[in-house]
Amino acid sequence: MTRLRLWPRSLAGQMALLIALALLIAQIINFSMLLNERRNFRFEQATGPAVARIVDAVERADQAQLSPNRGRVRLLDTSPIDKAAEHRPEIERGIRDALRESGLTVGRIETAVVDDRPPSLQRRGPPRDRPRDRLRRPGGGELIIAVERAGGGWLVSATPWPRGEGQLFLRLIAQTLILYGIILLPVLWIGRRISRPLRSLASAARDFTPGEVDVPIAEGGPQDLREVVAAFNALRLRVTAMLDEKDRMLGAIGHDLRTPLAALRVRIESVEDDADRIKMADTIMEMDRTLDDILSLARLGRPSEPLTEVDLAALVDAVVEDFRDLGADVTFDEETPRLQMRLRPSLMRRAVRNLIENAVKYGTSAAVTVQAAPSRVEIRVADRGPGIPEDRLADVFAPFTRLETSRNRDTGGIGLGLALAGAIVSDAGGSIRLRNRPEGGLDATIILPR
Amino acid sequence: MLSAEAMGDTPHLLLVDDERSIREPLAQYLTKQGFRITQAGDAATARTRLAAYAIDLVILDIMMPGEDGLSLTRHIRETSEIPVILLTARSEETDRIVGLEMGADDYVVKPFSPRELSARIKVILRRAAAGGARQHAPDSGSFAFAGWVLKSGERALVDRDGVSVPLSTGEYNLLHALVTRPRQVLTRDQLLDLTQGREAAAFDRAIDNQVSRLRRKIEADPKNPELIKTVWGGGYTLAAEVTRL
Repeated sequence: MTRLRLWPRSLAGQMALLIALALLIAQIINFSMLLNERRNFRFEQATGPAVARIVDAVERADQAQLSPNRGRVRLLDTSPIDKAAEHRPEIERGIRDALRESGLTVGRIETAVVDDRPPSLQRRGPPRDRPRDRLRRPGGGELIIAVERAGGGWLVSATPWPRGEGQLFLRLIAQTLILYGIILLPVLWIGRRISRPLRSLASAARDFTPGEVDVPIAEGGPQDLREVVAAFNALRLRVTAMLDEKDRMLGAIGHDLRTPLAALRVRIESVEDDADRIKMADTIMEMDRTLDDILSLARLGRPSEPLTEVDLAALVDAVVEDFRDLGADVTFDEETPRLQMRLRPSLMRRAVRNLIENAVKYGTSAAVTVQAAPSRVEIRVADRGPGIPEDRLADVFAPFTRLETSRNRDTGGIGLGLALAGAIVSDAGGSIRLRNRPEGGLDATIILPR
Repeated sequence: MLSAEAMGDTPHLLLVDDERSIREPLAQYLTKQGFRITQAGDAATARTRLAAYAIDLVILDIMMPGEDGLSLTRHIRETSEIPVILLTARSEETDRIVGLEMGADDYVVKPFSPRELSARIKVILRRAAAGGARQHAPDSGSFAFAGWVLKSGERALVDRDGVSVPLSTGEYNLLHALVTRPRQVLTRDQLLDLTQGREAAAFDRAIDNQVSRLRRKIEADPKNPELIKTVWGGGYTLAAEVTRL
């Protein structure tokens, strides 16, 4: 289920969204300022003359010169403004202030914006096209101002009242869209320009396999990014160089340890006692194998063996057969069907061999099976030994772990076997599961994805 | 078959290794085995010794400072037919394969048993004395037969679809013996002899067992073998054309 994500993940998206939000807020502030200013301006424009007329009317009415039904200011008995009409208290306050400045005291003031003049304020005679009427644009209305005279009755005036807020909104939206177009397109462009090299940097860092032929990432984008990419390329070269150095060092160590071993092996040939000589030779071979394991474990990150299509059943069978040739009690169903897998055969051989070797060493015998499921393959090596204490099951994968300190060198090795097998299998994307079987013995299973 | 000794002169071996701790005791051992040994501590010395003496066989360490064993192998192969046995480390597998492809006759992996080395030397000298052309090293080249390819360097059997079918040491040795002698009848004793050369301990099980295992891997119908045929009277033969790749 995918949730609608409002917050984009990409750099360009986040930049664009942030800038869009900031622009919107700026536009809103701008707009409210504009609206305020416009209101003030409209108040001045529309109410200024009306107030002057009312002041004039009040004075004339006091002198009884005002004809009740003619002129722009009428004298009515009651306020024509509906209680339900759109009252404008802020205009009322403005008018009161203006009247007070003119030295007039009045009673209540009521104002309202209406679409049409009430009948009591209709003009007599044929409507003339007067410039004033042209102010009545669509969406405009009439502002009715009613002022209660101190001497009784209401002085009422009407004046055109442009109601331009709707249009103003439209203008705001259009303006914002234009701004977005002008600003967001470059932002998206620069965002992409930054994020493309970043993305290739990320994928290069993720896929970095030391030892493989390195193609440096193309430096692109702004200067800061070019520097990051260049630094990464340099880092990659350094890591590769360090690993090469490690390989060379391990090779040198291997060579330097093997040479005295080989010398020793040649020298023991002069030992007369056959049993003694054979034991010595075995010890030397054991040391050599350990050395080999150490070197393999250390080099595992940069396998030199390519991935090959291999019949895994035949691979396990061949390993088992080698053990049987040496007289070990290892069983495997030779009729196991062919099982084609893509892996590094000599490394996998070694992993299987190490598990069987442990089984034979500690459990005297090994029953090996290969089972294929649609999504995975299990190579199970079951022995009849004492198993491993439950709380130590995880420990045995650590290099140089041996469970019994009393175990002598002869059979114990130095505890690299499982570590190496585990490393090989996890390098192939799988895992090794160790389980004590209820009927006794250890069950070591290599699980590989298919 | 005439051995070198029987011809009246002691085989003269050139032992090239920069490590004195290996070279000297090995020279001692081989002298006791009845060989005449000349030692060289580097490739340059080896070149002058090769020019000065009639050397019968060269034992050559691959990893040497200065000119290495591979380069010296190439030099020897360009100028003579003197057999070469390489001393290699297990980790130098690629070097070993390159060395064999360059024309070395055999190799031993350090730490090696001097007895095994001595046995190999004798086999190669016997072969050379028999006047036969130099044989290809046991672990070089690939052999194609009946849709299969046996790759010696990697010791892998590859099928028509390019899928590798791993072989045990015994199976590999047996199949190698068969593909290098196609259409020859090989008795069980001959096969035992041919396959025992390398890891003697790994091959004390019956040849018949290995043959039936191999058949399961390469025959379309193991019950009715078309490739590895049993010959009446006791023996096996590879009934297929073998192409050396």
